Amino acid sequence: MLELRGLSKHFGGVKALDGLDLSVREGEIFGLIGPNGSGKSTAINLICGVYAESAGTVRFSGQVMNGKAPHERLRAGIARTFQNIRLFPNLTVWQNLWVAQNSPRDVAAQGFLSRWFGATRRTRRELAELLELADLGHKGDELASNLAFGEQRRLEFARAAAARPRLLLLDEPAAGMSRQEIEDLGGRIRGLRDSGVTILLVEHVMELVMGVTEQIAVLNFGKKIAFGTPGEVQRNEAVQEAYLGTSASDSGAAGEGA
Amino acid sequence: MIDFVQNTVDGIMFGSSYALLAIGFTIVFGVLRRINLAFGASIMLGAYAGTWLHVHYQVNVLVVALTTLVCTVLAGIYVERLCFRAIRRDAALASMVSSFVIWMQLEEAAVHLLPERTYAFPSFFVAGSFELGPFLFRGEQTTMLVLAALMVGALHLLLRHTRFGLALRAVSESPRAAAYMGIDTAWVMLCAFALVSLVGGVAGFAILATDEQITPFFGLWATFKGLIAMMLGGMGSLPGAVLGGLLLGVIEAHAQWYLGNEYKDLSAYLLLFAMLVLRPGGILGQRIHGREALAFRRV
Repeated sequence: MLELRGLSKHFGGVKALDGLDLSVREGEIFGLIGPNGSGKSTAINLICGVYAESAGTVRFSGQVMNGKAPHERLRAGIARTFQNIRLFPNLTVWQNLWVAQNSPRDVAAQGFLSRWFGATRRTRRELAELLELADLGHKGDELASNLAFGEQRRLEFARAAAARPRLLLLDEPAAGMSRQEIEDLGGRIRGLRDSGVTILLVEHVMELVMGVTEQIAVLNFGKKIAFGTPGEVQRNEAVQEAYLGTSASDSGAAGEGA
Repeated sequence: MIDFVQNTVDGIMFGSSYALLAIGFTIVFGVLRRINLAFGASIMLGAYAGTWLHVHYQVNVLVVALTTLVCTVLAGIYVERLCFRAIRRDAALASMVSSFVIWMQLEEAAVHLLPERTYAFPSFFVAGSFELGPFLFRGEQTTMLVLAALMVGALHLLLRHTRFGLALRAVSESPRAAAYMGIDTAWVMLCAFALVSLVGGVAGFAILATDEQITPFFGLWATFKGLIAMMLGGMGSLPGAVLGGLLLGVIEAHAQWYLGNEYKDLSAYLLLFAMLVLRPGGILGQRIHGREALAFRRV
């Protein structure tokens, strides 16, 4: 589904990402972890086209993505959420979802007029379902900026789902969440996968990563240092060293998971 | 008292077209965070194309209107391609400077099209002048007000209730998030330029049809009035643009009546000066900036 080959990004002399090889299979929940500054976010940004790679290729269901703009990648089926929430604050909750419906399926299903000037009944029903799933059913007409933090996170997740991705990149979706919210999030991630979406999860919160993922790759200093199931990765010496060698909070997080 | 009310009415009518010009600046500013200095000049060039047809072929005023609108939109798209698309998003100053250069270029083009200093522009009104009690409503100005009100209403519907309008607002609120949500931001920006050129074309046509004459300086004039009205209302605020335009019209009308014609433009500059000193964000600007800052902190 997603194939990265020798993917590299250099900022001046800094190798933020250095020859990453990765392959994510269709229908899997794949974890990407590593200490701060290890290149996880860079990897996500390269996959969805924020900046051009210095070397290597991004291949998505057989198609080379290099050189494609972010909106083209979304239309190919790659959606994302953001580490710092980026909603459209002065649009309502419902409008946030509507404006994100840009998948080829939605484009094909709607005529020009209904696509640009009014939502069809089917669109309304589908978006209402997404809002229900996100526990935001009663907040559809609220401005996004008026939502509480947890609600904004759920809305961002729902907005990414509204784009009908085949691959969803989650960039630290659990940051700032309570234990209960993290548990809910884990359920939502599994639910989305069960509906056929492949998931690449970048996360620091180990209980989430270890709980939901099937395969994990570990990055350090821009290179992949380990790969395997959650259990294998936790026992890996290089991984333990990488986490212990960095700040206390990171090693704490790793220890918690192990 | 009768004079005062009459001036205010006249001011609101004429100010409605200032409001349209200000909307043109404010929408482009919202989407791109940049000022398009060539806006007035592209309207002027569009109107010149209409005038050219009028001068050489004595076409009907509606054909002049249509030509003005179409050519203003084309000029707007030209400006976008040249000054705003090619230059990277963070190079706001380069965009502004190049839009100034294009302004000069468009003015030059107009002078080559019609080399004399002044040309007659056909007048246009849907209803003749009428009196209501002691007050006179001029046909051209009532037409202008009606056109402007229709444009503002249509824009409001477009931006609030259509998906295209939402995409435009999404791009102005968070261009990166919009791109990752599959919105083609470059396309939206081009559409924004075409849209404001259409609005500006309507304003330009209404003003010129009232003045019944056109000079190459119309571009300068329109840019000034639009920018001042936008600054009065608050940058990036659509209601602010409308309010700023109407206020500018009213103040000018009073200045012209009580102080004389030569004080009309001066009063506009004084008003802007006072506003910048007392309330630098404009009438609605500060409140909106405050609220937006709050919104963005939370989101």
